[in-house]
Amino acid sequence: MSAAFETLSELAEKLASREVSSVELVGAALARAQATQRTLHAFAGLRPARALAEAAQADTRRRRGEPRSPFDGVPVAIKDNMVQTGEPTTCASRILEGFVSPYTATAVTRLEHAGAVVIGRTNMDEFAMGSSTEHSSSGPTRNPWRLACTPGGSSGGSAAAVAAGIVPAALGSDTGGSIRQPASFCGVVGLKPTYGRVSRWGLVAFASSLDQIGVFTRNAHDAAGLLELISGHDPFDSTSIPEPAPALRSALDGDVSGLVVGLPRECFVAEGLDPGVLTAVREAVAELERAGAKLREISLPHTRFAIATYYLIATAEASSNLARYDGVRYGRRARGARDLTEMYERTRSEGFGEEVKRRILLGTYVLSAGYYDAYYRKAQQVRTLLRGDFERAFAACDVIVTPTSPEVAFELGAKTSDPLAMYLSDIYTVSANLAGVPGLSIPCGLVKGLPVGLQLMGPALGEATLLRVADAFERRTPWHTRRPEPTP
Amino acid sequence: MSAPPHPRFEVVIGLEVHTQLRTESKLFSPAPVSYGQPPNHSVHPICLALPGVLPVLNARAVELAIRMALATHCSVHRRSIFARKNYFYPDLPKGYQISQYEDPIATGGWIEVALEDGEHARTQRVGLTRIHMEEDAGKSIHDAAHVADDATHIDLNRAGVPLLEIVSEPDLRSPAEAAAYLRALRQILRYIEVSDADMEKGHFRCDANVSLRRPGDSALGTRTELKNLNSFRFVELALEAEIERQAAILEGGGRVQQATMAFDPATRRTRVLRLKENAEDYRYFPDPDLIPLVLSEEQIERVRASLPELAEHKCVRFQREHGLSAYDARQLTSSRALADFFEQAVAAHGTPKAVANWMLRDLREALSAFDLEIESSRLTPQSLAALMRLVDAGRTTAKSARELLPVLVREGGDPAALVRERGLEAMSDAGVLEAAVAAAIAENAENVARYRSGEEKVLNFLMGQVMRRTGGKASPAVVRELLARKLARETS
Repeated sequence: MSAAFETLSELAEKLASREVSSVELVGAALARAQATQRTLHAFAGLRPARALAEAAQADTRRRRGEPRSPFDGVPVAIKDNMVQTGEPTTCASRILEGFVSPYTATAVTRLEHAGAVVIGRTNMDEFAMGSSTEHSSSGPTRNPWRLACTPGGSSGGSAAAVAAGIVPAALGSDTGGSIRQPASFCGVVGLKPTYGRVSRWGLVAFASSLDQIGVFTRNAHDAAGLLELISGHDPFDSTSIPEPAPALRSALDGDVSGLVVGLPRECFVAEGLDPGVLTAVREAVAELERAGAKLREISLPHTRFAIATYYLIATAEASSNLARYDGVRYGRRARGARDLTEMYERTRSEGFGEEVKRRILLGTYVLSAGYYDAYYRKAQQVRTLLRGDFERAFAACDVIVTPTSPEVAFELGAKTSDPLAMYLSDIYTVSANLAGVPGLSIPCGLVKGLPVGLQLMGPALGEATLLRVADAFERRTPWHTRRPEPTP
Repeated sequence: MSAPPHPRFEVVIGLEVHTQLRTESKLFSPAPVSYGQPPNHSVHPICLALPGVLPVLNARAVELAIRMALATHCSVHRRSIFARKNYFYPDLPKGYQISQYEDPIATGGWIEVALEDGEHARTQRVGLTRIHMEEDAGKSIHDAAHVADDATHIDLNRAGVPLLEIVSEPDLRSPAEAAAYLRALRQILRYIEVSDADMEKGHFRCDANVSLRRPGDSALGTRTELKNLNSFRFVELALEAEIERQAAILEGGGRVQQATMAFDPATRRTRVLRLKENAEDYRYFPDPDLIPLVLSEEQIERVRASLPELAEHKCVRFQREHGLSAYDARQLTSSRALADFFEQAVAAHGTPKAVANWMLRDLREALSAFDLEIESSRLTPQSLAALMRLVDAGRTTAKSARELLPVLVREGGDPAALVRERGLEAMSDAGVLEAAVAAAIAENAENVARYRSGEEKVLNFLMGQVMRRTGGKASPAVVRELLARKLARETS
């Protein structure tokens, strides 16, 4: 049996009608994951025995007519930076070698409470720092559309797992575009919710004020369903918004007439924007107009400082967040050090990869006495201005549309020697993190055989509108149904 | 007696006190605050800084911080910020301490400090610069005797315990004033139940900043910071040693270097730990895992309404309501337990002055004999009042009552029953008493004559004679009355 490429809702229906069992679905997902590990390498680790045991329990609940939710028994994957009791979490880093979590992230707990079965942890850039999933201690993940290309990053494993039809849905995290950019590169739906919508409890921190857990799915409807499941206030996260989980699927009525789509002029002239991507995005905008939406040019003047601002704030927070990996309590510790300083230096030198070290150094520098005001404080001021840009924009439009990424998936190694080029891959996505607003990427075309992503951004807590527009677009276009050739 | 102020320099001292807040759980974690647990038993994933954990602020700690701020006349800020202080140390699990830096919860207050220079009691107002909340670090154990190897072991039971840092203005002018300030601060903390402020358990720690300047100079001299002074005595000794060190440098024409100092109690000397130019850069920045602490006016007012009466107010009230002297009132309000005991005993007995006398003299002696505090004594205010009433009624003597106090303090019990059991009743057999009185009169004819000629003082001598004959068991009041009546009758 093949349930590959089926959506979450389709699988839920098949489970409800008992056409298929959870053990079958989870078994098939595990088999596909294992079969593609050598080529795709989407996973950092699988949990076959536990996943199949949980699937059997889900089947028992179904037989008794007591499913935990419509998603009881569906296979899903989580990014390797979300902890789950009794499972390793490595963040694709050598420094967390051997760490097994004694507790579970809130978002994962909510999946478990709904009966979803986690088949494994997806590969990522180390500590979510990167845009290509090449910076991983277990090796790079490849793009199911073209194995020579990266899947984007940092949640490249989750994007590839959904794109390759291994699982219908996966969780990722997005600090500057780490869900939306790989969703764009892999031709799937990727949603970064409003900051504070999904609890960060149990998400290994990269940059606390920017990190947000979100979802990868095959369509907007599934993204809505999954977000309903994992969002809502959590007292364990002080930055969690004190709002219950929103009802999202009911908003997907296909109607966008009268809706105002804002087109930031800064985002359609940016240097380095692939002409094919621009064409695909313009065509998508035209499709929205044909569906009854109104187009309005807007301006986000401070977005030109977004990348610089992002790399000051994100690295500053990261330099502090990653201080706990010191070899003292868990994870890797360098052997044979003669004193404490040497133990710290060698543990961290050996344990962290180059990109992580680069960002820790940068962040340490921007927080240093004498530089704080010029860098960190200034960046916070720009961030406030950028928030103002978005507030003004959303007074004039309902959603903002841009390309998700200036280009389609690039080849492995193309940017690893040029960090700045890699950073520019996030030029359209970092602003939503800085402003704390939701962003979503949906497939809107193919360029040279590779998917193009359309980014929709909404006001804080405006996920329903984003998903309504995305769903309406899907109803009118075939892009979300396109699949890569089966991965060998 | 402490050292007099320095003869050639003006001493300027400011203190930073860290005191442990009285909460059930830690500042950002549900792990219990405990003392004496085996290592690493009062911990939670948050205290261990496991990957993915987040801090959640303890609301009770905030309430206690507001309490202290209000009790010390500080402005409580409606918005304050938690910041990260970054440094690497094995007992600091996150690699940063969560503290408050640019925007603390409270600033700009003062406390009254009673200074007793022998007979001349005076009070001085000492300014408070700021009060803020922060978490404690864990403990590194290097002691081979404890851990049986030469490795360093880490105990994280203390990691994350809530502390209040209270920073004074440089208003203190001598080591004695510094010690008096610390006592006053500790008294307030205990009074309002914000902290046990127990130095032995490390609940109350002090860093001191000290500098010298020539009398009349307005600019401050270069200061040094004395770290981790963990007893009142050490605070005074360390300051005295550091003042001497700085004075010697300045007298010799040298310059004091800004530095962090440590005090060695064995040698009674201070030494440089590190110079200012080698100070660590803590890279403070607002903790992005915590939202700004925003307090409503109602919240602050609720805490204000819940504040108990402070010692300074109680002291004034005791003088006004109970007619006590300033000295007695200050003694009786030195701790809340003592003041509460006094008021309950007064309610049960009715004569404040008499209760004060019993408490400040006889009870205090009985307590110190067993090294007890009033709160650990088994004597209740009601039984003290009952004991005093037995004396008032002549059923026992003051002397007997004083003998009973240590028993009541240690074992408790009903004073009337104890008096009976121990045969401490005042002699009430009229026959025996009258015989003793008659004998005293008969044997002291000369003194009886002096009394009758108007020398009333002589009555005391005659009373003493009666008391001697009754073995001290007669009630002085009864004897006095009997004697006076008899002497008067025999005149007429």
